[in-house]
Amino acid sequence: MQMTIEFELNGQPQVITTNPLRRLVDVLRDDFQLTGTKEGCGEGECGACGVLLDKQLVNSCLLPVGAIEGKKLITIEGFRNTKRFDIIQQSFAQAGSVQCGFCTPAMIMAAEALLSVNPNPSESDIRAGLSGNLCRCTGYGMIVEAILTASREGEGLW
Amino acid sequence: MVKTCRPLNLNEALKIINSEDTILLAGGTDLMVRHRSWSGTLPCFDKPVILIGHLAELIGIEIKDNKLLIGAGTTLAAIISHPGIPEYIKIPLIQMASPPIRNIATLGGNICNSSPAGDSLPMLYALNAVLHLQSLAGTSEVEVNNFITGPGQNIMKSDQLLTRVEIPLERCRIHYYRKVGARKANSISKVSFYAVADYEPNHLNWVRIALGAVAPTVVRSRAAENLMAGAGKDELAAIIPEVNRIYQDLIKPVDDIRSTRSYRQEISLRLLKHYLGRELMQ
Amino acid sequence: MDRISTPIKRFDFDDKISGQARYCADIILPGMLYARTVRADRPRARIGAIGIPSLPSGYYIIDHRDIPGKNTVPIVYDDQPFFARDTVNYIGEPLLLVVGPDKEVILQIIDSIRIDYLDLDPILSIEAADKRQDDFIFGDQPWFVEYHYSKGDLEQAIQNACHVVEDEYETGYQEQLYLEPQSVLAVFADEQITVYGSIQCPYYVEEALLQALGWPQDRIRVVQLPTGGGFGGKEEFPSILAVHAALASIKTGQPVQLVYDRQEDIICSTKRHPAVIKYKSYLDQEGHILGRRIECKTDAGAYAGLSSVVLQRLILSASGVYNIDNLEVNGRAYATNKMVSGAFRGFGGPQAFFAIEMHMENIARRLNLDPWQFRQKHFLHQDDTSSTGGILKNDIRLDQMAGEIDAMSGYRLKRHNQPQSPDKLFGIGCSFFFHGCGFTGSGERDLIKSRVRLRKYRDNKVQIFVSSTELGQGVLTTLRKIVAESLHIPIDQVVHYYPDTASSPDSGPTVASRTIMIVGRLLQDCCEDMKVRWEEPEFEVFRDYKYPVGLSWDKEKFVGHAYPEYSWGANVVEVEIDPLTCVVDVKGIYAVYDIGTPIDIKIVQGQIEGGLVQGLGYGCIEILNTAGGKVVQNNLTNYIIPTAMDCPPIKCKIIDDNPYPDGPFGARGLGELPVVGVAPALALAVQNAIGKKINKIPLTPEYIMELMHSADDD
Repeated sequence: MQMTIEFELNGQPQVITTNPLRRLVDVLRDDFQLTGTKEGCGEGECGACGVLLDKQLVNSCLLPVGAIEGKKLITIEGFRNTKRFDIIQQSFAQAGSVQCGFCTPAMIMAAEALLSVNPNPSESDIRAGLSGNLCRCTGYGMIVEAILTASREGEGLW
Repeated sequence: MVKTCRPLNLNEALKIINSEDTILLAGGTDLMVRHRSWSGTLPCFDKPVILIGHLAELIGIEIKDNKLLIGAGTTLAAIISHPGIPEYIKIPLIQMASPPIRNIATLGGNICNSSPAGDSLPMLYALNAVLHLQSLAGTSEVEVNNFITGPGQNIMKSDQLLTRVEIPLERCRIHYYRKVGARKANSISKVSFYAVADYEPNHLNWVRIALGAVAPTVVRSRAAENLMAGAGKDELAAIIPEVNRIYQDLIKPVDDIRSTRSYRQEISLRLLKHYLGRELMQ
Repeated sequence: MDRISTPIKRFDFDDKISGQARYCADIILPGMLYARTVRADRPRARIGAIGIPSLPSGYYIIDHRDIPGKNTVPIVYDDQPFFARDTVNYIGEPLLLVVGPDKEVILQIIDSIRIDYLDLDPILSIEAADKRQDDFIFGDQPWFVEYHYSKGDLEQAIQNACHVVEDEYETGYQEQLYLEPQSVLAVFADEQITVYGSIQCPYYVEEALLQALGWPQDRIRVVQLPTGGGFGGKEEFPSILAVHAALASIKTGQPVQLVYDRQEDIICSTKRHPAVIKYKSYLDQEGHILGRRIECKTDAGAYAGLSSVVLQRLILSASGVYNIDNLEVNGRAYATNKMVSGAFRGFGGPQAFFAIEMHMENIARRLNLDPWQFRQKHFLHQDDTSSTGGILKNDIRLDQMAGEIDAMSGYRLKRHNQPQSPDKLFGIGCSFFFHGCGFTGSGERDLIKSRVRLRKYRDNKVQIFVSSTELGQGVLTTLRKIVAESLHIPIDQVVHYYPDTASSPDSGPTVASRTIMIVGRLLQDCCEDMKVRWEEPEFEVFRDYKYPVGLSWDKEKFVGHAYPEYSWGANVVEVEIDPLTCVVDVKGIYAVYDIGTPIDIKIVQGQIEGGLVQGLGYGCIEILNTAGGKVVQNNLTNYIIPTAMDCPPIKCKIIDDNPYPDGPFGARGLGELPVVGVAPALALAVQNAIGKKINKIPLTPEYIMELMHSADDD
């Protein structure tokens, strides 16, 4: 059972022929070697597989790849070349927000998704925005602080 | 290996489901978990899967003739961010799941899942939502409380598809919602309580109350609501014990992985009592 | 602030933030095969026939018959097989692997494997184990191990006592829930096996491979990859995966990836031990504790694993931060037909400090004493003896910490003046605790024998060679800081990679809050040697662990210094409880720690805040039960950990003027301490709010509702 699916991945048009029920996370990791997208639970709870689908944060473990026809997809590998990533990563470095790193790429995508609709979020906006991304190392406070800093430092970028 | 279709439009989808028994997948946030297999392998579906999340006919929000019409394939996030939708409709949706799930999960999916803990359901019950079902044979309309028949069970036939959810918009002066979950975000309800009402300073026009996760389907009692409708502020206190009794008989929770029967029983009645005594007409 | 404490950007930061760090599952090698484990679905059974279908070409079964060496996981006792032979003892016990190139085919093969069992009568709880007369899991008794120690003369104290207060407390399972599930990659080439993976202790894995393969050491190599959290869960457990994948790679001649799904990981990996802890404290007329009897029981699961050492730490912590002259302490780790309980950050400490802090508060309440003053009156001080009679020779700042945390939180004022409201119940609770740094007793000298190596190159670069792993706790940054600061060289001149047993000496496992204090100190000592020879173009220096002068430990009687040193902490937690739903809303956490000199305050803050939130989860929302030996909350939908919305504001202070003379730059251990004290402070806050005595964690709303119905508070 194969289907041809067209979509845009990190700015590049792609046409793939594959089983449309394959999970997007598997297609990204196995076919495109985009391994910055992680699988932590396979049931949409941990958020480590977070990517942007038409600018919205989604769990790529829950999406059959057939559902992304015609859509624009951004993974950490695409986002890391942007100025906004630069601001976010600087503020993460400053706040000490990274420990084991497994949740980190998707946390960055969640931060981008949040800031792109709410460039000046409050602390509670940020906590709500990250509530689908589990982190077991940091207790979240230092990540929240980093996003607050990013929203200040990146004034006008979002 | 099962067949998968991605119909181009609603009519094509209806044709497919008319000819075979299928699984309709809109957002997939529940189905992809329920049918997941080993990482890197295909999810295990036992029937052909029809992808419908992209169908334009199923997406969109419209307000017409004092009715809110939400396409069944509209995501929870789209409903929450729509400026024309009243707060009392959004409030249970805002507390559902997590942001990435709300970005793909659909209202139609939550209804067709028909879980006793489905968080959109008490709101839809209380607001007299009507569901539009379509098949090649035509369309039919059914009230949500007549649609769901038990845990995970509803009357939708295999050739039918839920296309739209219709919510009558009424003057509603007060709404109240409490979700009790295991944590503050991304949790499944142990108990949920939803109420809307309209009243004049000394006179209750109407009140509707619906509880989730405390019985096989959402609990709503028109008998109790009728007792209260039209009551003066001073008369309400006398009616409350009878209302409590009615709900006590309807609330039939179970012990499960998320909570206990006794907790659900007691907390749901406490929420009811609190609402009637402390929130309604205060 | 000391210079060493000034935060710098972590060395693993760039790779991790950009998604370029390659974790085990991210690596695909040419010809790599996948493996999936077939597990027992019975808690206790004899294995009958195993029906295997005929395998397509390129697919393999790996089981106990493929083990050339010994089919026993080397931990403490020789009771756990890598693959079950004739019996299974828990649901999830590995029976065999199916290995091959296509995952879908592997699943089909697994689907057609038939296993006949002859069910045996399982033991599913501590209580059931205690009642069992025969048919034991381990030897001729219901427990794996029993320990006893005493101090002073408890019988005499009992004679002199006016009051006796008895309590019993219970704690539940906790899952480590590292975000990256268990994963390894084994590569057999040139007669050598290399295991790469998400592991805490490369030399534990090496030992397991040595034992299973019976090969010489030079044919075995273990390399740590970027690891998505461990928390103890990747301490002893990955040895099993490593041996499985290695056997598969040796048999097939191809690289083999073994990565668990989350559900599989939760079902079969180690957990924090459930515990039942009983106290009987004897007091004089003035409310001074004369003596105490403590009985500790843990649920160790089907195999002994690390349960003996966890139990040691539990019983050595069970009298808390208090100076008690007369003590009798008993502990047993019971064998049950459930997944193996094992290492988890805190390692017996969280259970012990939950129980003792609840008990101390309850004694004060029963005797109508101020619980704060009651605790303070019994605080340990410098030159006191510990529960095992070892003299505490370094300064102990509990009084100062109590003052600091009271000032930060307003505890004493709030404790007695909570606002009254029909809509909220307010509560505040406190806890005082320690964590012994390094291995228990003289384990650092007798078992671990840490060795570190430092190499200077011609270009003046200096490379660190240790087996300490980067788990997110910052070891690739903090050890560099120690070396750079000791040698007075720029930190970019210091080189440090993830450990590889081919080049890294065994500096011990990355556990027991020992890395900075023990390994860091050895590196600092190496630097002293290096400084003297600095003009030489290229050379290496080694250091081996030396047991500090003045310490002693009798490991049979448990007498002397139970730990080389302790770190100390105080927590206050504030809660609001909704009286309608009994849901606890944690409003604030306050914390004061004495960890000596912090090595990088941002890394320290990360350890503290992460540990506090993990402890918070342990205390209230992380519920894991078994039914018929099967894990009930076997996925992330049902095993709930805190989200960003569940974490309250955290205020923290470090005592910055009490350096540890034997630690690098004065540092003590930190990693585990923050998780140890939260649950009791939280439980006491809830107790304060509802006015009913709490006897167990986790504090679910269901339990709180039950308590609020109880007529009496005892």
